[in-house]
Amino acid sequence: MAADQEQPERAGAGAAAQVDDRPALPASRSRAAEVWSAVLANRLAVAGLVILVAIALAALLGERIAPYGPTEIDFQARLEGPSARHPFGTDQLGRDILSRVMLGSRISLQVGFISVGIALVGGVVLGLIAGFYGGKRDDVIMRVMDILFAFPAILLAIAVLAILGPGIGNAMIAIGIVYVPIFARVTRASVLSVREEVYVRAARSLGASDVRLLRLHVLPNVLAPIIVQTSISLAFAILSEAALSFLGLGAPRPTPAWGLMLAEGRGFIQQAWWMAFFPGMAILLTVLAFNVLGDALRDALDPRQKSAIESRGVTA
Amino acid sequence: MARYITRRVLQALVVTLGISVLVFMLVHLVPGDPIRVALGTRFDQATYDALRERAGFNQPLIVQYFTWLGNAVQGDLGVSFRSGDPVTSTILGVLPATLTLAFASLVVALVIAIPLGILSAVRSGSKLDYAATVFSQFGISIPDFWMGIMLILLFSLTLGWLPSSGYTPLTEDPGDWLRHLVMPAVTVGVVSGSILTRFVRSSMLEALSQDYTRTARSKGLHERVVVTRHVLKNAMIPVVTVTGLQLATLLGGVIIVEQVFSWPGLGRLALIAVQRRDYPVLQGAVLVMALTFLVINLVVDLLYAWLDPRIKY
Repeated sequence: MAADQEQPERAGAGAAAQVDDRPALPASRSRAAEVWSAVLANRLAVAGLVILVAIALAALLGERIAPYGPTEIDFQARLEGPSARHPFGTDQLGRDILSRVMLGSRISLQVGFISVGIALVGGVVLGLIAGFYGGKRDDVIMRVMDILFAFPAILLAIAVLAILGPGIGNAMIAIGIVYVPIFARVTRASVLSVREEVYVRAARSLGASDVRLLRLHVLPNVLAPIIVQTSISLAFAILSEAALSFLGLGAPRPTPAWGLMLAEGRGFIQQAWWMAFFPGMAILLTVLAFNVLGDALRDALDPRQKSAIESRGVTA
Repeated sequence: MARYITRRVLQALVVTLGISVLVFMLVHLVPGDPIRVALGTRFDQATYDALRERAGFNQPLIVQYFTWLGNAVQGDLGVSFRSGDPVTSTILGVLPATLTLAFASLVVALVIAIPLGILSAVRSGSKLDYAATVFSQFGISIPDFWMGIMLILLFSLTLGWLPSSGYTPLTEDPGDWLRHLVMPAVTVGVVSGSILTRFVRSSMLEALSQDYTRTARSKGLHERVVVTRHVLKNAMIPVVTVTGLQLATLLGGVIIVEQVFSWPGLGRLALIAVQRRDYPVLQGAVLVMALTFLVINLVVDLLYAWLDPRIKY
């Protein structure tokens, strides 16, 4: 939509122009260190990083540090409130909520990374082709993206799952497909702004092939917005997975998926608020962490870029 | 400008066709015989044959598509596999609830976003700005369905102030209408408002750094006049765009929030249609959502071009 608006701005974006045919890498070691220290200077981002490290540890160590097994049933301890023995309480089968929340991080992160990986690869390739070549290829690719974009995100995911059948693997594919258009648009917009840069034209005039141009000169210079979009998409992908699991379209019982736990907890909300409360908090904190990190990365990598996060996926 | 409008409308038409193909294919991509699946245990050969004939499944796919498209253009979206009711009237039946929730949520969102966004931009770097940033980060990250459940826990089950679910038409009982509307609208509005807050803020900041703002200040204008007359007017142009896009998203049905509050809107209709494998209803609902999104998008783009004559296409 209104693609041409993006073109005239941001002239001179990207790293310093290099005339020779060497990679124009913005992410040199000093630049990476610069970005890193800028992120660390942001209090919110540091909080986000701390949360993410904790969640990653829970996902990696899982059973080894969780106080109970995630599917360990104890009928003596059904629907117990938070206590020293069960800090987050227990569910209707006496399973320990804390252990289930800890193990649930594994599913959320898995779905997040794999589905965003799908969207990233698909979207970046399509965006590069559309932006770099323009013309018919651009028209066809971007119209297909427009078509996908017109469907409400969660509904598109539900429709894909109706075709593929429910399950965690299919949920990853569905979420991946939903986020392809965002990456395609972000990539295309950036490619348009660097396509006519001196260093690209210079490399072309030296006889560089299209693939070489795209790989060594265009891609490195459009990475910043893609990295930012990746972090933000991780947040939305995790939110989408939770929503799909909540609807019973994701992981099957008794998997400790946060969305599924929340759906189960909803049925016991009057007797046991903790069943729905803690999984929801886990989702909130994880998504928040990726969002603040994405924001900090944007500020550090590309200060001119407005905080114009794509709104889709949020109010699905 | 005329060329731009023509091009955008043509693009939208192409996308509409693409949407219709995708929506049509939905039924045919789903494994298994949709009518057999939909009938389930109530299967009998006569009903089955009648529904198949009615759905036109005995014809070639391309003929089916054009028949379906021709009917859809005339407002006939077929009949439900389950109830046998016309899909069009079913969708028209849920529209009031969807429109009510979408506009109420947008009002909540704007009431949050405009003052908060303006204040945090004008006092950029202050404690208030920081608080607004934190608020909007939370609002964007919160799972809306969880927030809905927590609101129900607090205001319905614990305090007993508001009904936990359902919808009453405004014409029936305005008080009851409002009581049912508050929690879903706040749930959706907080998320939407958080997104808009960020846009209002960044748009204001950009306008504040422009030359015309410096000129206005150097003329000795009072800061309030600078902000209201010079900054705000310019800053609101992109905000109009994003507000339009938010409305498009909200009208597309807030599927999960509708589900949590048993709100009988378009999103819930689509979800139930998926669960019951009632494909004509699903097709109809999805088509209406996608086209609504597309049309609002188009209007917003054209409005943007009209509001800001500097934009050249």
